[in-house]
Amino acid sequence: MKALDSLHFEKFAQKILNELKSDEELTLNFAGESTLFSRFSKAKIRQVTNLEQAFIDFNFIKGNKVISFNIPYQASELDFSLALKKLQQSREWISSLPDDPYLVRPVHYGITKEESLHVLPQNDEMITQVLDLASHVDLAGVFSSGDLARATINSKGQSHWFKTRNFYLDYSLYNEKQKAVKSLYAGNVFNSQVLKRNITDAEFKLNLMNRESKKIARGNYRVFLAPSAVNELVGTLSWGGVSMSAHKQGNGSLKDLWQQKKKLSPKFTLEEDFSLGLSPRFNEAGEVAPARLALIEQGEFKNFLVSSRTANEYKLESNFANEWESMRSPVIHTGDLKRDDILKELQTGLYISDLHYLNWSDRETARITGMTRYACFWVENGEIQSPIEDLRFDESYYSIFGECLERITDFSDMSPATGSYFQREVGGSQMPGVLLSEFKFTL
Amino acid sequence: MRLKNLLESLNDLNADYISLREVHTKSISLSVRNEIFEGLNHSEDHGLMIEVMMNGQFAYGATNSFSASEVRECALKTKTAAENASRFSLAKFSSHTERPRTVGHYKSPAKLSIEDFKPAPWSDLLMTISSTMKIHDHVISRTASLNLTEMQTHFIASNGSDIKQTINRSSVSMSAVASSEKGNQRRSYGDDQSIQFGLENFDVLKLIREAKRIAEESLLLLDAEECPTETMDLLLAPDQLYLQIHESIGHPLELDRILGDERNYAGWSFVKPEDFGTLKYGSPLMNITFDPTVVGQYASYFADDVGNLATKEFLIKEGLLLRGLGSLESQKRLGLPGVASQRATSWNRAPIDRMANVNLEPGASKLEDMIKSVKRGIFMQTNRSWSIDDYRNKFQFGCEFARLIEDGKLTKIVKNPNYRGITAPFWNQLKMVGDRSTFEVGGLANCGKGEPNQVIFVGHASPVCLFSNIEVFGGGK
Repeated sequence: MKALDSLHFEKFAQKILNELKSDEELTLNFAGESTLFSRFSKAKIRQVTNLEQAFIDFNFIKGNKVISFNIPYQASELDFSLALKKLQQSREWISSLPDDPYLVRPVHYGITKEESLHVLPQNDEMITQVLDLASHVDLAGVFSSGDLARATINSKGQSHWFKTRNFYLDYSLYNEKQKAVKSLYAGNVFNSQVLKRNITDAEFKLNLMNRESKKIARGNYRVFLAPSAVNELVGTLSWGGVSMSAHKQGNGSLKDLWQQKKKLSPKFTLEEDFSLGLSPRFNEAGEVAPARLALIEQGEFKNFLVSSRTANEYKLESNFANEWESMRSPVIHTGDLKRDDILKELQTGLYISDLHYLNWSDRETARITGMTRYACFWVENGEIQSPIEDLRFDESYYSIFGECLERITDFSDMSPATGSYFQREVGGSQMPGVLLSEFKFTL
Repeated sequence: MRLKNLLESLNDLNADYISLREVHTKSISLSVRNEIFEGLNHSEDHGLMIEVMMNGQFAYGATNSFSASEVRECALKTKTAAENASRFSLAKFSSHTERPRTVGHYKSPAKLSIEDFKPAPWSDLLMTISSTMKIHDHVISRTASLNLTEMQTHFIASNGSDIKQTINRSSVSMSAVASSEKGNQRRSYGDDQSIQFGLENFDVLKLIREAKRIAEESLLLLDAEECPTETMDLLLAPDQLYLQIHESIGHPLELDRILGDERNYAGWSFVKPEDFGTLKYGSPLMNITFDPTVVGQYASYFADDVGNLATKEFLIKEGLLLRGLGSLESQKRLGLPGVASQRATSWNRAPIDRMANVNLEPGASKLEDMIKSVKRGIFMQTNRSWSIDDYRNKFQFGCEFARLIEDGKLTKIVKNPNYRGITAPFWNQLKMVGDRSTFEVGGLANCGKGEPNQVIFVGHASPVCLFSNIEVFGGGK
């Protein structure tokens, strides 16, 4: 796909930058992908889509005024004429707009180019392998593979390019009682044996779901939250939890931590760690974030994510967060709980593999609600007894990662982002499991 | 003409069926916070979805190039994908039954199009809204934004379908956050008030009145008591019921969820195929329609994205479940009636089962009579939080604002109101439905679903409704 070629983009960018007048500044932000999506249900194909798309966002500054626009990009002459038309429109409009005192001007933060393009088998070959291996089980999910790229170039000479090729099989298996287990096989090297092992492991867990489900009464229980459940909890913290702007504007959810009225457990450390390699370090403005940034260290507030716009507004130092000040590569530090000791240490309580549909009950006290999902079990005296019927929880982060946090596992799972709203996401996380002395279920 | 020529140029592919869906979307957004202009964005998206059926299997190819050679390359790739996928088809379809021949056009009732936009009057209006909310130092965040979208879709198919639709959507949203040593409280207006009209539709004086109201209410909430924890009668305003309808009626009635296609992401449904015609979903006062024909409602259209003609249908009548939200494909697989709701977010996604306008029809009760009938209850307004399980049973919602109802009268304001319940029991506890004077029409811009993920705009309308014996609770530890 021509549009995913860095040279095409660089040439286009230079051509449009040449159109700028002396008092104008411009940043181009590119995203593109060539992707196959194949949807499965009952280990059959429901829909298949081949997608080729690319977009460019432009941030245009003249004096102290700013306007942004975007266009679809196809690496043809039509791109330039459309971009020029939008630029002219922006010039006409910008004079009538008020000044923006917090605008972020383009800066030359350097030039980088990163491409990781492993050879993958043909899409049809990978899909056939998945469906042959799952032919005897009820598998639902999506297989995705292909190239994706992100880039930014600005009028100060800065240029960053990131391109990768990867795949993921995001799936769940179902038994006759419609109980399910969830799994993910993702990477940039497709290995048939690893795929087979992944599906076999999921089938083994599914066997545990064949036991009669136990209905758990609402109340407080000891729980173990597996890494994927912790990932959901940390994901929700990106809704204002670690954003400086959200806290300054009264929409933050860890206010007491920020104001040092409360602490989390000294066992708990959360950081942005781009060494995971799942996300480019540059943001939409091309600013390169620190390779590692502690957000909460040993239970105490350390840094919130601060974009350059927020920094301008509140006279702070930017740590080059993205526009939304959301985490792009979060990692929770591991502890000392060994995998083989999880059930023994849990003793009697609930083993929660996944959580679903989290939202705030009360931001002021960092209270969230959500549901259990997939393979969740009732455990007695260190042994799995039965799967459970889904439960609603309502609990505070100060309890989960604070006073009720007993142990953290000595291992953690990497979860590449599988979201695809508008376009295939980059990024991901690495999370351990956590053992909690108490977790409140309400329905 | 160009699209027709492109389709004709693909005749020699000998596909069992081909359709082309061109989507050209222009949008403009601008926002102000604390009387500071935060930016204007004008964006454009344009692309083509090619749908090919081979051996009863549909496949899709999406490209944002319209050159004949690249469209042909995409179509060939899509044909091969359909052939390959047909070895593993979940279901086999026929273009004769699942792709009706439809010809027609639709245009939103907008007098001023997006091309008529000029920034200055609108940035001035947003500034005025923001400054109107500056009534006290405690109102620390005052936001106002305008969003305009014009989406032109042209769908043509090898069966002779030819449909052009232009949908203009517009909204003004605002929020006020009050902050003191007692905490933070937010009030908002407009997030769910989106409609299919143009710039001519905004009532400036009303917007300024709403700005003043939400700023005042955010301050009142700062000093309010915490919402009590108890089981009581619950009166819900339309701007909360939109989401209650959406999450606990719309999604569970989607036939692709009932079929299990969404199990790995959005989830399943507690509704079973045998429930249609038998399940008492709610009280006899409950009438739910799928109605994409309401003039100006957010998700009105002439036909869905495969050419199925849109008509009004009752999903639930007098509490009885009658019909699901599902495409001709899902209807065939289940042998159940559905609606014209196979929709895609844009040119880059395949169409799936969706809501359009899903409305709770007005009843006969006056608001004052509903309040008078309550001994001990609460009136909640404006959604602020939502969560429901993957079968769409156990839900929890939070609202921005509430007043207690004591001995038939609205009394004190309480903060952080939440309630929880289970879908069918909850709707069976519906005991009064407001009349047309309480009926409001709105919509939600971002309904998420599907693999790959899609967001789409949906419409909801509702009167005020009263439910008996609901678990209510507040915030705090």
